[in-house]
Amino acid sequence: MIRIPGLKKQPSKNMARRRVEPNVVNEGQSSLPDREHPRLPGGFNLPPFGVHQVLAVVIVCIALWAVGVIWLGMQAASQWVGSWQQDIHIHVYLDADKGKADNGKGANKLQQRLENIPQIASVRRIPAAEAATWMQSWLHDAALNEQDLVNRLPLTFELSLTDEQSQFLFDDIRDAASRFGGRVNEDEVNLARAHYWLSQASWLAGFASIVLALAMALIISNTLRMTLLARADEIHLMRLLGAKEWFVRMPFILEGMVLGAAAGVAAWLLLWPIIWGSSAWLLTMQVDLNLWILLPALLLGGGLVGTLGAVIATARVVSAETGV
Amino acid sequence: MLKPCLCVASMVTRGGVMATVWAMSDEKPLIHMQQLMLRYPTGKTALSGITLEIPQGQFVYMIGESGAGKSSLLRMFYGGVRPSSGSLVVQGLDMRQANDAKIREIRQRTGIIFQDHRLLFSRTVFENVALPLRVQGWQTERLIPRVRKVLAYVGLADRLWSYPEALSGGEQQRVAIARAMTANPPLILADEPTGNLDVDTARRVLDYLMDLNRNGATVIMATHDLHLLESHPGRVVQLHGGTLAGDSW
Repeated sequence: MIRIPGLKKQPSKNMARRRVEPNVVNEGQSSLPDREHPRLPGGFNLPPFGVHQVLAVVIVCIALWAVGVIWLGMQAASQWVGSWQQDIHIHVYLDADKGKADNGKGANKLQQRLENIPQIASVRRIPAAEAATWMQSWLHDAALNEQDLVNRLPLTFELSLTDEQSQFLFDDIRDAASRFGGRVNEDEVNLARAHYWLSQASWLAGFASIVLALAMALIISNTLRMTLLARADEIHLMRLLGAKEWFVRMPFILEGMVLGAAAGVAAWLLLWPIIWGSSAWLLTMQVDLNLWILLPALLLGGGLVGTLGAVIATARVVSAETGV
Repeated sequence: MLKPCLCVASMVTRGGVMATVWAMSDEKPLIHMQQLMLRYPTGKTALSGITLEIPQGQFVYMIGESGAGKSSLLRMFYGGVRPSSGSLVVQGLDMRQANDAKIREIRQRTGIIFQDHRLLFSRTVFENVALPLRVQGWQTERLIPRVRKVLAYVGLADRLWSYPEALSGGEQQRVAIARAMTANPPLILADEPTGNLDVDTARRVLDYLMDLNRNGATVIMATHDLHLLESHPGRVVQLHGGTLAGDSW
């Protein structure tokens, strides 16, 4: 006789027939070796991986790789813009006849007005001769009449900025210029505002990442649905045996998490060839990409997306006769 | 062979006698039902007006034609379906009022044997038999010796790592018995466990169930094999059209 540990409540002593252990014999006890790691279902045990799971990892890996490429591009763009944005200058032009009018008082007032804008570090009035020389060189020594150029070129102010990200800086410059009949070089303004466009691009990249994440979650969810259908009998049986819902669903949630995380690591590994292939080009642009920063993001992001897919898949797993 | 069951027959016919029976016996019934009714959402009434009491340690045959309500009644004992009206108390739990957690507890204290075994064919015999213990949180180190002993009891110690498809029908049913008894439940429900077996194999399966009963487990078995009653006597509850048609001991 052996005691049966599984019995939680022993029958009361006053019962006519007390429960006793069946005559369980020990025959064959040592005839077969024990497996060290029997594959038991439920709880924290992962279900076996099959071809569906491998395919899901591949598809999610491709999607995560695309997300990685997007953010790598953002990192490169940010570094590239940062490398030249420090040296940017904005030019304000005032027609020569307006500048000379009233003995040049209008030009002086404009310069003073520009200097009063807090985010402008300095205002330099570029002499007409210097501007003409620069234009000659820019036009590859086009052999123009320099005096003619000097007479035709507008009066030019070169502004050095302290904070090009200030919200109303360019409106203030435009306002000051227009008051005296001048105009701002808008192409330079657009370049100076590259951080703004980068920030817009970041939003787009974030949106694309979310859309891809949802797609990945659905892919993992569908894969797990197939697994759930294939193992419906097992789930049904576990419920009939009194398994708690977390015990039934946990293997699938773990599987989703592992699938997502594995796809994330694989996507990260596949980003390295991009870095190696473009290293020379990136060097000329003074861009030094840090791929390691994407590892935790892809790993955790993949795991999170996989978990989300698993939660979606297991949200409604119905078994007949079990009340679930 | 069939003897009238005084206590239950009197309860069925006259509710007032029940108190007398209770007074005569100090046992609390394992299963108690009163005017039990089950109506499925389709509108079909599967059971109606069943009043019955099953004490601990009985071996109960549940007989009746197909559709008589045997399987529905068994399903109610483990919370597979809830009564529409009346009362049903199983192992001290009111099945109409019980929440999901309580139903899970009842299932952990109930061994269920199905006609089609419901073995997991992608899992080994060990994994099948260990499942109830695994559900109850047993660690693998404790599981292995326990499953070995239970399989040795049903004569399948050497098939520990076999897959069910490699076993005969009788062996598969013995694995199902092993799975039902491995957690040592006080109640074993068997829904036509011998339905697909030849006479000799069916008798052997019934021997195991009788042995479990002799050792204290209450066994309720739905069956069509009336010839088994001669060699393995027990209380017979007869259902007909969803009502209690007879109860004899």
